[in-house]
Amino acid sequence: MMQRATVLLLLALLTLTVRPAAADLVVVAGPKSGVERLTQKEVVYLFMGRWRQLPSGIPALPIDLAIDSPERAEFYRRLVNKEPAEIKAYWSRLVFSGGSLPPYTTEGREGLIRLVSNNPGAIGYLERNQVDSRLRIVFEFPATP
Amino acid sequence: MPLKTSRSGKKRRYLAHLASLALALASNACLAETDTDLSPKRFQLGGFGTLGAARTSTNEARFSRDQTQPTGIGKNLDGKLDSLIGIQANFRATNSLEFVTQAISRYGPHGDFRPEISWAFGKYSFGPDNLVLRAGRMGLELYMQADSRHVGYSYLTVRPPVDFFGGLAFHYIDGIDLVGTLPLADGVLKIKGFGGQADELAPIEQGSAILSLRGNPIYGIYADYQQEHWQWRATYAQMSFKHDLPAPVATLQNLLNQTTVPSAIALAKSLSLTDTTSRFYSLGAVYDRGPLLVQAMLSQIDHENQIYQNTQAGYLITGYRIGQFTPFAAYSWSKSKTKQLSSGLPDDNGGPLSQLNASLLGAQTRVHTDQHTYTLGSRWDFRQNMALKAQVDFIRGKPESVFLYSSTTPNFNGKVNVFSLTLDFVF
Repeated sequence: MMQRATVLLLLALLTLTVRPAAADLVVVAGPKSGVERLTQKEVVYLFMGRWRQLPSGIPALPIDLAIDSPERAEFYRRLVNKEPAEIKAYWSRLVFSGGSLPPYTTEGREGLIRLVSNNPGAIGYLERNQVDSRLRIVFEFPATP
Repeated sequence: MPLKTSRSGKKRRYLAHLASLALALASNACLAETDTDLSPKRFQLGGFGTLGAARTSTNEARFSRDQTQPTGIGKNLDGKLDSLIGIQANFRATNSLEFVTQAISRYGPHGDFRPEISWAFGKYSFGPDNLVLRAGRMGLELYMQADSRHVGYSYLTVRPPVDFFGGLAFHYIDGIDLVGTLPLADGVLKIKGFGGQADELAPIEQGSAILSLRGNPIYGIYADYQQEHWQWRATYAQMSFKHDLPAPVATLQNLLNQTTVPSAIALAKSLSLTDTTSRFYSLGAVYDRGPLLVQAMLSQIDHENQIYQNTQAGYLITGYRIGQFTPFAAYSWSKSKTKQLSSGLPDDNGGPLSQLNASLLGAQTRVHTDQHTYTLGSRWDFRQNMALKAQVDFIRGKPESVFLYSSTTPNFNGKVNVFSLTLDFVF
């Protein structure tokens, strides 16, 4: 009994310490965005509010997933190597100095897919296996060795 | 005088009108927003704040955050320097038109925490933010990041370097600005022009008198270039004065005039601020790459009037994030040049003329700065939307370096250590 409990506990601890493989995130746009491909720099400029126009000339509408979603944290870690608190501090400076507003936040992946497929300027990020025919992949992070 | 009162009254009514408009429209907000509608939320209410406590190593100088605080702190733990709260409402009338109002309660010119409207403007975007026009009351970007000085959560240190920002007594202008943004090479170039007038007050001699900056015209322009991890900024701004300094400088001017000696009268005139212009030149650079942040700024201030001293200042901050902690180190300095002033009055061995010359020297001494500061600290992002910061400043200056303090005693030796703790938050 005791042994069994110990083994179970060990197993539980192991599964907790094994981090899930890093999400394979991609940046997506709608079919009417007029955009085939974005560079990482362009994605940074759009999501950090420095530039608000897609290369096709359409006003860009970057979309974030919910503040506590793992994809969102992972996205900014891979994009600019920043933690969620740093991204929040960055936007606090812009918002409270009367500058620009941060990306629109949507709850859930289904909402994001709907928004991106219905708005030509919308761009968002998702796990690759959730991308369907309504979306176009416009940026993939370089593979980490 | 009555003319002035009615004008500022009108301005206040206009600001109140803007604020009530935003709030009235806001009650209509948050109506139907389907999930396919991507327009940002019409109405957003948010805020920021800091709970701070600080003390210094000496009572021979009163350390303050900037020139708007009438009395600074000494050896006793005090919360007034950094504690503040701000509330901001954004209302998006259309995709191109937005109204923003912000009020801040902090320890200010009147020696209390009375709230003040810091922003109240309308913002119109031509195209997707490529050209943005704002009108109303707005943050004054005299230096890079000067318009987010109160948002402690947005930066690493406990407060913006006092050597650099402490000499300023103004935060906003009532006027207009225009920002143009365009891609250049593989970066983004931003040009901003602004113009308007100040509406703030600077306490003098621990709040016993007030220098009014109200109605002072301010103009400026900057060019800002962001390229991947780098940001560069060059700014020029100028302010002209509409009011003179109160006592003790006003008293000195009176006495000089009473001597009827031409050189003394000429000196009295050169001490006057009215219709003189002060010019602010600055350069800023930021290198921000993942966990590493390096920030540096340089400034030069030139005053046409003879009482304030031309000043050079600068700072360098570097921080590196390790998990939830970001330790940082900073170096800053401020150095002003004493102007050669003479009343032309002969010393009369402790008589009235000697006393006059002595008070001239006293007035000049009061505005001198020559110091540098080493800062060490850490920011801890211990939970969402909150950060704790601890910081020690070692200020090393000449005993004559007194301008940035609200007061000093004759025993002051130029050395002050400041110990600070803050809790910064946004909501």
